[in-house]
Amino acid sequence: MEQFLGGLSILMQWQNLLVIPLGLAIGIVVGAIPGLTSDLGIILCIPLTYGMDPTMAILMLLAIYCGGTYGGSITAILINTPGTSANAATLFDGYPMTVKGQAFKALQMALFASTIGGLISAFALLFLAPLIAKITLLFGPAEYFALAVFGLSVIAGVSNNSIFKGLIGACIGLFMATVGVDNISGTARFIFGQRKLMAGIDLIIALIGMFAISEILMKSKYNPKTDHKSISASAITKDKITKDEYRRCWKPIGLGSLIGVIIGATPGTGGGLAAFISYNQTKQSSKHPETFGHGEIEGVAASESANNGACGATMIPMLTLGVPGDGATAILMGAFMLHGMVPGPTLFAEQGNILYAIMLGLIVVNVFMYIIGSGFTRFYAHITRLPYEILAPIVMTFCIAGAYSTNNRVYDIFIILIFGIVAYFLRRMDFQLVPILLGIVLGPLAEKNFRRAMVISEGSFKIFFTRPISCAFILIAVGSVLLFAWKNYKSRSAKAK
Amino acid sequence: MKLRYNTEIISGAVFAVVGAVLWLLIPSQIQTMEKGAVNAQTLPRIAIGGMFIFAIGLLLEGLFAREKKELVITADSFRSGAFKKELRSIVYCLFLVAYCLIIQPLGFVISTVLLVLAVMLYYGARKWYYYAIPLAMVGIVYYVFKVLLHVSLP
Repeated sequence: MEQFLGGLSILMQWQNLLVIPLGLAIGIVVGAIPGLTSDLGIILCIPLTYGMDPTMAILMLLAIYCGGTYGGSITAILINTPGTSANAATLFDGYPMTVKGQAFKALQMALFASTIGGLISAFALLFLAPLIAKITLLFGPAEYFALAVFGLSVIAGVSNNSIFKGLIGACIGLFMATVGVDNISGTARFIFGQRKLMAGIDLIIALIGMFAISEILMKSKYNPKTDHKSISASAITKDKITKDEYRRCWKPIGLGSLIGVIIGATPGTGGGLAAFISYNQTKQSSKHPETFGHGEIEGVAASESANNGACGATMIPMLTLGVPGDGATAILMGAFMLHGMVPGPTLFAEQGNILYAIMLGLIVVNVFMYIIGSGFTRFYAHITRLPYEILAPIVMTFCIAGAYSTNNRVYDIFIILIFGIVAYFLRRMDFQLVPILLGIVLGPLAEKNFRRAMVISEGSFKIFFTRPISCAFILIAVGSVLLFAWKNYKSRSAKAK
Repeated sequence: MKLRYNTEIISGAVFAVVGAVLWLLIPSQIQTMEKGAVNAQTLPRIAIGGMFIFAIGLLLEGLFAREKKELVITADSFRSGAFKKELRSIVYCLFLVAYCLIIQPLGFVISTVLLVLAVMLYYGARKWYYYAIPLAMVGIVYYVFKVLLHVSLP
């Protein structure tokens, strides 16, 4: 209690409260530019924190992290390109809402759900950190593999009316994920003599190509004279979230936040996976799953609450065990060390006051995020009023600069173009792009842990069924696929009648 | 010439061929020294094998279980509005390919300005300020990346 109150008094110093909005503004801008991630934002701002005291520095970097995760939803909703990979699931319903003229509503919900998810995650970090850390310690290769399989079961839910197309998409994604040097054996795979492919295909490059460039190509037939719909400024912000929609979204937000906390606290996973699983679970438990993917506000709520729900939770293994949960927390861990704090079991005993100030600060970060985001949302929504002939070259400029900056090479601009053309063909053939994305995201996690588990079990598949957590994940995955198949069968029969 | 098709037949056939070619390339593209049953080739084999099997499934679904569209190809087909629309997509792709080729020698600013102008002309933008906004954005992006974020652009 003494440390808690000490932390609160440190947090309430004006300097500490001032750096939070600054960090959030940087994070939101960086997160909203496709190709730039909150990781990059944190790295770029670490030198600015050298002269700050530890609490102030970490709070600013934490604000960038949370702001970046929320910021990525803005472009996902407005231009069908997630700013960061954690926001990929927001595309499913965010962009269709924009197409329906509900961009403002989607942005409002993304902000609201991100804030609630972030707050729940911050409270989990504050009160449940040691308990959750103990549970995640039970995760071995078999559990991670089963978790990836559970994530891949989302394919059944997002394949719409052709499961074959969904499965082919997942295979394409898994194949893409294998390009480059194999981390376990060091063997080069499908690099076709191109040294630049040794490091594999960067996820954000794939995202920009698949979603932004293919969208631009899909709109190449756009005719400004007939296709442009002029919307008045007042109409844009008129369509607000109704009380009924808030009521409907509470369940997805609660579920998403919980999933975000659990997945986020599991090292090596992250907000992207949490968002996919949350979206899938929300769709499955919905009374109207057919509306998902066509601009369902509950879909935006589910994915955004989960990815921000993971933000605070990724700090749990870092602070309690000294194990970073994802890339951003690995960088944050470096920042902790730079400021003389070594994350791990002894941190609570040695610098409890500062630690409590940071954990309480995460709550303030999320409250500030809502206030700042509310101001910006109104402005962002007006982007949809721009004629497409203006928007297309702007989007292209951002995509090109974002793709180039990922690895500082022109080669990646070629890669986004290739991905864009392939994705354009797939969209013309009525394929969903999400299964490909799932394959790319979950492929490495699944492969690495499958191979490790097989080594541990000396080649026996029993390991996945004899360990309770692994078995539970696999059973839930199989159950959810069967449930989807049953629901699809029922809705088809109903339509036939 | 008369063709009966659907997207399942086209994509099923394409991915069956792609899957078969990639499967044949595995030994030359993944030269692993591992001797165990599970090695660097395992996941690629699962992914590519799966792609081939599901593509065959999709092809069969397209041939026997889905409705087909009919396309009659005559000399007039190449003068139709639909064909011209498809050509527009190819022209758009060519802009992007050309951009990739000129960005290294000309640099980010000049090549992106040229791309922006090409895209605006393609859409038939007439008002001057329609050109001004994206062109200004090229300058802003360059400034933000190069000066504020210290990300070097070509």
